[in-house]
Amino acid sequence: MLRVDHLTKNYGDTVAVNDLSFDVAPGVVTGFLGPNGSGKSTTMRVMLGLDRPTKGATTINGRSYHDFPAPLREVGALLDAKAVHPGRSARNHLRALAASNGIAPSRVDEVLEFAGIASVADKKVGGFSLGMSQRLGIAGAILGDPGVLLFDEPVNGLDPEGIRWIREFFATLAREGRTVFVSSHLMSEMALTADQIIVIGRGRFIAQGSVDDLTSHAAGTVFVASNDNARLAERLRDLGGRVTVNERGLDVSELVSTKIGGVALAEGISLSELTPQRASLEEVFMDLTADSVEYGSAHVAS
Amino acid sequence: MSVTLASVTKSEWIKFRSVRSTLMGVLVTVVLTIGLGALITTAIRGHWNQMDPIAKLTFDPVSTSLGGTLFAQFAVGVIGTLFITSEYSSGSIRTTLAAVPRRSRVVLGKLIVLVASLLVVAEVVCVATFLLGQSIFSGVVPTASLATGAVLRSVLFGGVYLTLLAVLGFALGLILRQSAASISTFTSLLLILPIVAFLLPQSWQSAISKFLPSALGRAMMSTSPPANFFGAWTAAALLVTYVVVVLGVGVVMLVRRDA
Ligand SMILES: Nc1ncnc2c1ncn2[C@@H]1O[C@H](COP(=O)(O)OP(=O)(O)O)[C@@H](O)[C@H]1O
Ligand SMILES: [Mg+2]
Repeated sequence: MLRVDHLTKNYGDTVAVNDLSFDVAPGVVTGFLGPNGSGKSTTMRVMLGLDRPTKGATTINGRSYHDFPAPLREVGALLDAKAVHPGRSARNHLRALAASNGIAPSRVDEVLEFAGIASVADKKVGGFSLGMSQRLGIAGAILGDPGVLLFDEPVNGLDPEGIRWIREFFATLAREGRTVFVSSHLMSEMALTADQIIVIGRGRFIAQGSVDDLTSHAAGTVFVASNDNARLAERLRDLGGRVTVNERGLDVSELVSTKIGGVALAEGISLSELTPQRASLEEVFMDLTADSVEYGSAHVAS
Repeated sequence: MSVTLASVTKSEWIKFRSVRSTLMGVLVTVVLTIGLGALITTAIRGHWNQMDPIAKLTFDPVSTSLGGTLFAQFAVGVIGTLFITSEYSSGSIRTTLAAVPRRSRVVLGKLIVLVASLLVVAEVVCVATFLLGQSIFSGVVPTASLATGAVLRSVLFGGVYLTLLAVLGFALGLILRQSAASISTFTSLLLILPIVAFLLPQSWQSAISKFLPSALGRAMMSTSPPANFFGAWTAAALLVTYVVVVLGVGVVMLVRRDA
């Protein structure tokens, strides 16, 4: 299990992460969602002991990262797929990584095979496409067969086939009981990849839950159509509802559908339609992070 | 299994030998030391008869044959610098430090690899250029033999000097994190400082010059260091002190700063 406990990280005057707390459970894929600049990468760097927290802490299975005798056997991470010496071959990169944690060299061949880059293992990484680099990064993350895996924006640069492959790969890791923590700034991506989602904005915690939880808790609207829309709208407004009238009927928010049905019954208005509108995850995300998008909404769109 | 100094050293050895810049650096070191050594000694042999009697009297066949190290020192400095700065330029330093959270151990592992491999290369190259130089001199110019203690010491100190400079380049890289900045700082220490010292008033110059890294190297590689220079062992101890201080600063910064 991963725990972030009142984590704050400042870079000079920039507050990258602000009193952030959450837990990530094993056995499911947990998405870490937030607009660009919201502090996802910073949180992950702190988890890996790379950046020092200003306040608070992160623990992995109850321990500080620095306490692991062989970290790669506990935690696998892919932060930046291109962060490999361009002049080194994929195989040598992985061999060096394996050697540092006392992992057998034979494991290198296994992960190269698994990631589908065995045929280019002896080529220089500098010539790799982003997709191939991502695969190399994944090979590095699973090198020590760790129980906890962190992936920072792993889907960037993958082709559709690669995206399908990586989604299945995350699901398999989770089924095996591992903790899988995957960041993205793309809502649409998270909806398909993750079981659980943690949403942050401007370094602050915003929401956590399953995709279903997040969409149903959102202040959704109810669409209603009746034989007297004008009078219904008036009554609903009296009761504090926010009503917009369109040619087919009314969009009502701030009132639940049972209440709307009750009002219609009491007024003798017959309803032809009464449908709670479930917000899409995209809308929820836009809504949740509207105040915390650093550079305008362009970054949120998929 | 866990992260040990041995496992980190093994990992760093794989990294060190698996990039072309290391191999190129070693090749350039060999070519510059031996090639320029041969050129210098050949030139001196050709002009020996016209040389001034006083110059002949103070002539040191050992340090002269090791003259190529004055150029090779830049190559080894680059090898040392790139060993760490390439990790920053590519971003792989984060992978390295996540795999080995105890950062001083990463430095120690890299240091073992750097010192061990450069010492071997530099000693072999210095002995080779010495022997080649003496064979070029032989018959015309006075020669020296490794059987003489002071001669053996000078030649071996040539390798030690180059190795220390590689570590200096590495330590500067640890502090500055950027290849270009580190290499130009290294070059300034060896090339610009002596020029600055040369522009100082005579009295200052003689007091300060002998402390410069290049002067320490010259003292280390002379059988009898000239006046105004430190003795060979004092010079070596001083250069080790410089390198250890810069390295210490580098380690503290690596441990304290965010990766
Ligand atoms: N090393 C750093 N130095 C200074 N500012 C940083 C650094 N890393 C991140 N930041 C700032 O912290 C904020 C969060 O960045 P980041 O964690 O990269 O967000 P995300 O990964 O969600 O896009 C941004 O404003 C970013 O500019
Ligand atoms: Mg990021």
